[in-house]
Amino acid sequence: MQRIYNWLDERLDLSPIWRDIADHEVPEHVNPAHHFSAFVYCFGGLTFFTIVIQILSGMFLTMYYTPDIVNAYNSVKYLQTEVAFGYIVRGMHHWGASVVIVMMFLHMLRVFFTGAYKKPREMNWVVGVLIFAVVLGLGFTGYLLPWDNKAYFATKVGLEIAETVPIVGPYVKSFLAGGDIVGAATLARFFAIHVFFLPGLLLLLLAIHFILIRRQGISGPL
Amino acid sequence: MAESASQPHFGAPDDAGGGREGEITRRQFLTYTLMGTGGFMASMLLVPPLRMAVDPLLKAGEEKPFVPVADVNEITDEPKRFEFTLKINDAWVKNQATTYSAWVYKEGSEIVALSPICKHLGCTVNWNASPEHPNMFYCPCHGGLYTKDGINVPGTPPRAPLDLYEVKVEGGKLYLGPLIQRT
Amino acid sequence: MAGERQDKASVKYVGDSRIPVRREKRLPKPYSEYPGKTEPFFPNFLLKEWMAAVVFLVGFMALVISHPAPLEPHAADPNDTTYTPMPDWYFLFLYQLLKYIPGSMIVLGTVIIPGIFSLLLLLAPWLDRSPERRPSRRPVATALMLFVVASIVVLTYQAVASHKAQQAEAAAATPPPPPPPAAEGAAFDPEQAFIASCASCHGQDLKGTPAAPSLVGLNLSVDEVVDIITNGRKGSMGVMPPGMFQGTDEQKKQLAEWVLSHQ
Repeated sequence: MQRIYNWLDERLDLSPIWRDIADHEVPEHVNPAHHFSAFVYCFGGLTFFTIVIQILSGMFLTMYYTPDIVNAYNSVKYLQTEVAFGYIVRGMHHWGASVVIVMMFLHMLRVFFTGAYKKPREMNWVVGVLIFAVVLGLGFTGYLLPWDNKAYFATKVGLEIAETVPIVGPYVKSFLAGGDIVGAATLARFFAIHVFFLPGLLLLLLAIHFILIRRQGISGPL
Repeated sequence: MAESASQPHFGAPDDAGGGREGEITRRQFLTYTLMGTGGFMASMLLVPPLRMAVDPLLKAGEEKPFVPVADVNEITDEPKRFEFTLKINDAWVKNQATTYSAWVYKEGSEIVALSPICKHLGCTVNWNASPEHPNMFYCPCHGGLYTKDGINVPGTPPRAPLDLYEVKVEGGKLYLGPLIQRT
Repeated sequence: MAGERQDKASVKYVGDSRIPVRREKRLPKPYSEYPGKTEPFFPNFLLKEWMAAVVFLVGFMALVISHPAPLEPHAADPNDTTYTPMPDWYFLFLYQLLKYIPGSMIVLGTVIIPGIFSLLLLLAPWLDRSPERRPSRRPVATALMLFVVASIVVLTYQAVASHKAQQAEAAAATPPPPPPPAAEGAAFDPEQAFIASCASCHGQDLKGTPAAPSLVGLNLSVDEVVDIITNGRKGSMGVMPPGMFQGTDEQKKQLAEWVLSHQ
């Protein structure tokens, strides 16, 4: 192992990257082992952890899920009731979606109330707000996918709301619905957005978020 | 992730100046605990999805029922192809009508029903289809040959005889059931 | 760090543009500006973080196993007119907000108010520029955020409460589908008829819901309202199906008069 690592390190110069991640010192005011109240600093990490759960369970769910109005509901029902552990994986994705929102909201409140977005960390706050928006988008698009009444009508109302936006509203609605009604085209679109576009954007924003944290460090104690 | 990343520490002590043996041991202890914690989390997160993903391997196949295929008096000494449909459950697509076929002939008083699926790569075999090989089952894909009782001819691609259907006669009707594999 | 490996020195891409001969070491940023102890991220701090993550994960998996994700017994039926739509809980406050905004000013609830608060959130670092970080010394920012959080909580709570009330109402209304059979002989009460047949969409206070517009301030005659009750209507928010209220023409007229009298 050591030799493989050395071989790679010689060519790719891995050590500085690794050292930067591994050896940077973490101050005690964010460490719950020093002050229990520092647990508020865990919310960001737990958000990321839940996102990892979402990506993992989501990837496995697509092994059964079919984005098509005839089969979508049946495939979800099959996965939920007939596949061993299917209800657990779907449960991870379902509850994880809510937990991500809760954790992210708490993380945002922590950052807000500790004033951690102030100079020099303004950019990272903006990236964080964008991540919040992307996650809400994931929640909205994912809600339609089981194609039961709850999903269908919530999306219908959501698109009606989008339609009220002045000028661009009707275009946004037709674009998201892929036509005049919430139907086959909408489901395919929402699946694509939910599974490819938004996760790609999310990963990009997360990478920027983390790189900026390392560049700027954690904000000091109050 | 932790495993490969932790490597440089094993060989290269961080503090070149200090002979603090205790620090290294503690660090290694922490690293191992970390790996254990990570392994626990990874297994908790991966076991349900993996169990779900391999579920088709562990599910018992459905028992195929006997279905009426033909009248007994239609069957002769010459293999004849009969088709029949069976409703099968294909995951969430339930009761899907699927067509199967069988080569059926009389061997004395016994009825033999052969599956037409070539044991080489799953093409469909035909009776008497090749002029060079009369009275044999011939597979057009790679020239596989079987004798009338479904035994593969040595030297041709298939390595096993054609599968047999379980056969039942009731009220003058021929019923075919599950497949029997032969070696 | 001091112990630079020997083999590193042996590979020098001199004059090669791909990798510089040697650049200055990227040392971790010092945290000396903070009082108190620090510890390395790996493995000390990460272990503590992961232990917190294990506690979280065990709780999460317990939730997942004990509460299977809900799935309705049937696939979506676009023609189901009795279904009360409900967004996921984290959009409920926006959904509820719309109930307090008259239909003609819907843009206020769908774009302007959420847009203003989103922009405030996005631009917080430039609006709250003082170097002071304690919440108690940033009264405006703190108060505003507390107000927003409280509003979200209250709106979400109200949305859940009204959804439950609607469902209870729908459950109470469905068992006897044609209003009261006894109504033929007994006196017809337009208010009861409204609650049974119309309130689930138009709201008990006639002010409308996201499913149907307000009935306050209608510029219609009694006969026009009777016609809408009988034949339905394609309106600005969707289609009102015909025959939502089943009754005699006299009862429809009374209902229409009752609706128009509540302005």
